[in-house]
Amino acid sequence: MGSWGLSLAPPAMLTLPLYLQGIINLGVSENKLCFDLLSWRLSQSDMQRVEPSLLQYADWRGHLFLREEVAKFLSFYCKSPAPLRPENECEKEAVCVIMCASVKYNIRGPALIPRMKTKHRIYYITLFSIVLLGLIATGMFQFWPHSIESSNDWNVEKRSVRDVPVVRLPADSPIPERGDLSCRMHTCFDVYRCGFNPKNKIKVYIYALKKYVDDFGVPVSNTISREYNELLTAISDSDYYTDDINRACLFVPSIDVLNQNTLRIKETAQALAQLSRWDRGTNHLLFNMLPGGPPDYNTALDVPRDRALLAGGGFSTWTYRQGYDVSIPVYSPLSAEVDLPEKGPGPRRYFLISSQVGLHPEYREDLEALQVKHGESVLVLDKCTNLSEGGLSIRKRCHKHQVFDYPQVLQEATFCVVLRGARLGQAILSDVLQAGCVPVVIADSYILPFSEVLDWKRASVVVPEEKMSDVYSILQSIPQRQIEEMQRQARWFWEAYFQSIKAIALATLQIINDRIYPYAAISYEEWNDPPAVKWGSVSNPLFLPLIPPQSQGFTAIVLTYDRVESLFRVITEVSKVPSLSKLLVVWNNQNKNPPEDSLWPKIRVPLKVVRTAENKLSNRFFPYDEIETEAVLAIDDDIIMLTSDELQFGYEVWREFPDRLVGYPGRLHLWDHEMNKWKYESEWTNEVSMVLTGAAFYHKYFNYLYTYKMPGDIKNWVDAHMNCEDIAMNFLVANVTGKAVIKVTPRKKFKCPECTAIDGLSLDQTHMVERSECINKFASVFGTMPLKVVEHRADPVLYKDDFPEKLKSFPNIGSL
Amino acid sequence: MQSWRRRKSLWLALSASWLLLVLLGGFSLLRLALPPRPRPGAPQGWPRWLDAELLQSFSQAGELPEDAASPQAPHGGSCNWGACFDTSKCRGDGLKVFVYPASGPISETHHRILASIEGSRFHTFSPAGACLLLLLSLDAQTGECSSMPLQWNRGRNHLVLRLHPAPCPKTFQLGQAMVAEASPTVDSFRPGFDVALPFLPEAHPLRGGAPGQLQQHSPQPGIALLALEEERGGWRTADTGSSACPWDARCEQDSGPGQTQRGETLPNATFCLISGHRPEAASRFLQALQVLAALQEMSPARVLALRQQTQFLWDAYFSSVEKVIHTTLEVIQDRIFGTSAHPSLLWNSPPGALLALSTFSTSPQDFPFYHLQQGSRPEGRFSALIWVGPPGQPPLKLIQAVAGSQHCAQILVLWSNERPLPSSWPETAMPLTVIDGHRKVSDRFFPYSTIRTDAILSLDARSSLSTSEVDFAFVVWQSFPERMVGFLTSSHFWDEAHGGWGYTAERTNEFSMVLTTAAFYHRYYHTLFTHSLPKALRTLADEAPTCVDVLMNFLVAAVTKRPPIKVPYGKQRQEAAPLASGGPGPRPKPQAPAPNCVNQIAAAFGHMPLLSSRLRLDPVLFKDPVSVQRKKYRSLEKP
Repeated sequence: MGSWGLSLAPPAMLTLPLYLQGIINLGVSENKLCFDLLSWRLSQSDMQRVEPSLLQYADWRGHLFLREEVAKFLSFYCKSPAPLRPENECEKEAVCVIMCASVKYNIRGPALIPRMKTKHRIYYITLFSIVLLGLIATGMFQFWPHSIESSNDWNVEKRSVRDVPVVRLPADSPIPERGDLSCRMHTCFDVYRCGFNPKNKIKVYIYALKKYVDDFGVPVSNTISREYNELLTAISDSDYYTDDINRACLFVPSIDVLNQNTLRIKETAQALAQLSRWDRGTNHLLFNMLPGGPPDYNTALDVPRDRALLAGGGFSTWTYRQGYDVSIPVYSPLSAEVDLPEKGPGPRRYFLISSQVGLHPEYREDLEALQVKHGESVLVLDKCTNLSEGGLSIRKRCHKHQVFDYPQVLQEATFCVVLRGARLGQAILSDVLQAGCVPVVIADSYILPFSEVLDWKRASVVVPEEKMSDVYSILQSIPQRQIEEMQRQARWFWEAYFQSIKAIALATLQIINDRIYPYAAISYEEWNDPPAVKWGSVSNPLFLPLIPPQSQGFTAIVLTYDRVESLFRVITEVSKVPSLSKLLVVWNNQNKNPPEDSLWPKIRVPLKVVRTAENKLSNRFFPYDEIETEAVLAIDDDIIMLTSDELQFGYEVWREFPDRLVGYPGRLHLWDHEMNKWKYESEWTNEVSMVLTGAAFYHKYFNYLYTYKMPGDIKNWVDAHMNCEDIAMNFLVANVTGKAVIKVTPRKKFKCPECTAIDGLSLDQTHMVERSECINKFASVFGTMPLKVVEHRADPVLYKDDFPEKLKSFPNIGSL
Repeated sequence: MQSWRRRKSLWLALSASWLLLVLLGGFSLLRLALPPRPRPGAPQGWPRWLDAELLQSFSQAGELPEDAASPQAPHGGSCNWGACFDTSKCRGDGLKVFVYPASGPISETHHRILASIEGSRFHTFSPAGACLLLLLSLDAQTGECSSMPLQWNRGRNHLVLRLHPAPCPKTFQLGQAMVAEASPTVDSFRPGFDVALPFLPEAHPLRGGAPGQLQQHSPQPGIALLALEEERGGWRTADTGSSACPWDARCEQDSGPGQTQRGETLPNATFCLISGHRPEAASRFLQALQVLAALQEMSPARVLALRQQTQFLWDAYFSSVEKVIHTTLEVIQDRIFGTSAHPSLLWNSPPGALLALSTFSTSPQDFPFYHLQQGSRPEGRFSALIWVGPPGQPPLKLIQAVAGSQHCAQILVLWSNERPLPSSWPETAMPLTVIDGHRKVSDRFFPYSTIRTDAILSLDARSSLSTSEVDFAFVVWQSFPERMVGFLTSSHFWDEAHGGWGYTAERTNEFSMVLTTAAFYHRYYHTLFTHSLPKALRTLADEAPTCVDVLMNFLVAAVTKRPPIKVPYGKQRQEAAPLASGGPGPRPKPQAPAPNCVNQIAAAFGHMPLLSSRLRLDPVLFKDPVSVQRKKYRSLEKP
């Protein structure tokens, strides 16, 4: 080989092995690049092959632009036709330069290698060029921050699985005890290791990968399977991962026990026992998808594992430790290969299909009997015997001479049989769910995957083995709508929890996390509701049908700035309402002090003044500690026209509808077809969708929601525009409860006594435009129009009835 | 010499350039060239193996499908549902339960529980036709123990119900019998087979039961966050404000304003920590897990949800012995039903699985209660169900008025009198079906399969309604599909003089019932009326026909815990006097039901579910002084 290099010192530089030894490694990147390029070329098939392990920094990729520069330089420099002998005096110069062997031409040997004449000129030019190149490259690095930060690969070690350290297990090393069937989280799991953690996340540590061999150097198992590597990668990329073994609360060995058939049981157990934090398996989690082995196929991993948790595919009720183990799916590698787009609801060609091969003859007889009885609607498939291509047979199924594509054929069926094989857990379950086919699980005592959190009743039909002959009639009794829901649910389970190893790993950790931090656990709905349902549904925060006792009364909150006279009148009026239990004045003026105590009206209930830090509209909806009742009456400081009967009746109506906004004048939103947007309507219409909060009753919880949970920037937007806080409140309540407002009494507007008719019209118009803008803005922030339109209002039972006024409870109910 | 100088200058230039290079780029190059070291904060993850692509799959192609199957199911020591329960006997009409008669004298409680089960829809008198045989082991004090019953059959399809921890030594092997008992131990409890019951006090009410004590949705500000159960029934409270439990240190007991409350009353706290029989373990638990910290972290929304759920669960499943027993049977029935069991939503949200029958439907949107959670809406059409009792005139005018409603989908006439069916009926565009009834008042609430809409407008042949009234009432019903929306009302009241409940149909400022002779409600209430009410109550309604209104109102109020809704009724104003004294009302001779009817029904329910309302829902512009042209429901206001 004609590779060589000029140059030598600085003496500390590394030299390279074998035939590349002529090159001196400068230890700087450019040097490495050059080297890379060389090794690339040398490893081409027309060269003698270089084993990767022989190359240092085998994984070094470098930057493309640098490579290009080097390549340019090389091709420029190496063009030099003058041959150069190794013993050239450049050595004497003792200048360290890498010399790239003529990548392009060096195959034929030294003839094309550049050679220095006694003249130093070329040599110096070369030197300077290199230095210049270095400068340019460095400069580019400086102004290329992205390229330096971008890839996380810089931090990740790149190695080959074959290079992992080997650990020899002496034949007499300790073996863990067999799994303890009585283990539960509170007996075998040390929750104290997880500690209190503000994020409520368990920390998971993964042991480094080792290769275990016995005394004779025979491996204990395959080092790691593709799936287990994916699984550990997923955990390592997740929020659960920690590399600090002392902070971890859950330990995942890198010993791969996914398939019991690929390992030696006793030696694997010994390997587990020598893990540094094993401690009888406490807080250790093992993943196993194919447990047991011939002939009796245990339903849990046979490897003795002491107290370790087992995430297993194929548990039966006999081996599953409820609340301790996690039942997981058997991953179907087909999921990654085949892309089955979701199929909408509607009739499918077959009612019931069985696509498993290698079924026990007894089961197959039963299924074929069904086919005979029900004809076309049942399809029983088997493997294809007459296919020429053996490799594809896993993707084909046959019925007599008809060939079907698997798993595509599953999409043609409403129900798909998932029968127990030698093992309870079957990978076909995953294929069936992917196809949106409702699995009919016939495997007595099988613990369905993730059944601790997933509601399988919504996605599958479980039929006892002895009822197999009745399966058709059982399925026929299910209403069509339920079938369609099950199909949607099946597909959703696959997408969320089955489709990749990562999904399986994260669901498993989430389940364990939920047990350790139950108060932060994911709810049933979050686990089970498909996204479409989550979007469409509303979970009313005040769902309990409760009528608050009248004795509790309400707290009136008056927002005021400086209209003291009007404020005092409001206070006096409101204090006449029998159910008022407290009055809270929110003093929103920072430049002026509220009047002295002695000046305030004397009323029969406690009166409190709260001073605010800033003049903001949202102060009226703040959840003040002073609010002790559930009912809040928000009232402006100029609303003096409401009668005592009117207010008391409003409170009584609120008690019957404590989860709604109960107000007086109603307003409506309308779709403006010309402008293609929402419009605010204050005309006298037959419908209402909002009430003004100038005077409105509502539950104090909505104050908390308004202040802390208002979506988007609405709260700040309202404060900045000093308008539409009432519309925002209407949106918020309707969105969270899914219910309409209640308008009480005939009142249509709050007539302000000081207002004059002048400018009324133009003011009105600007007002309407602004209010319409608010509705459009809020609808876009909420992403929907939550307001509900109704055609009713609430009046007293005998309102305007032909009945003696003096016998009516609320005779003075007010006017328009 | 010259060359030496030249060399020197070159050397200098070169060195300078090098220096520059090192200064400029040294640092960044160094960073790149140095072998990667983990950055602090960014954990060094699982390595990306160079040859990850070459790794083999955990299961070799062919291994999964080629599994040789064995037809033997895996076996274990204890029972599970599939192995120890024979569902073949339970086909048809669901769970049928036979209760072993007690041997020897029985206590009053035992007797009443037996009566309660016998009155329920589960009961059968024939042990041969039953799919579940129930062995009651009830009496805590007497220590009476049952002996092995006749049809024991190793306990197959048996349920042993122990409401109180049994003082009996086990006189016989339980074998394959299911056990429903309080506080089962983890070792003996078979999940999915046995049933865990709440631990009931001996004085637990048999039926009805006190409603939950929660009066507010959200916790009162300033009350204690946590109450700890102490020995001898006391409670120690820990306050929210106290920093008794710093994150990492131990809890300093008694440093906060904790106080011990004695006696029977429950503590006034947001959370209660219950630790079984070991209070001292609770305080250790508290220290170690910093429960307080966790609870303080909990968002108000979650606290609110949890508070309400406790009340719902109490009311739905725990508040009486009868509810506990029925819940147990319902759980077992769900296991038998398989795919037609209650979906989880029906168990876990009001009104609960005992009142949302899975025999009606397994799709939540078919019920009136779950439209919000399902994102669905009630249907836009209704069926009018007109009951024609004696004297039996075909209600022609009424049919016309109802058929005029844009929301009407069908009209059903329930012919329930001695006269023969008329041969001809008025011509309407509306499909009209005539059902020949059984001359019983309870027929009115039978779930006829011919009713195809969710909403039913229940009418009496003598009712008189205008199309406007029907339209408006239906639009209101769509907003409240779980309630009854009616035109005429009546009230119950506590009659001090007689020490019982009274009934009045007089017009008052409030009401608690609407007359079902003109009311909208969901068709589910027909199913509930027919299949969930005790037989005795339905018999009562048949014997005293005026009671049927009261009974239906009791039923709906017990389910919804809300009063019914009243909408305006035009005719009412014409009446010179309230309905009771006669006149051209929908019921010309309404007999006020005997007051003992309300009392009997209340006794059977175990409590008074009726609630009063003080409002009426009117159209938005009802009787407002504006042009009639603006109003949608004009004829409602016609004199």
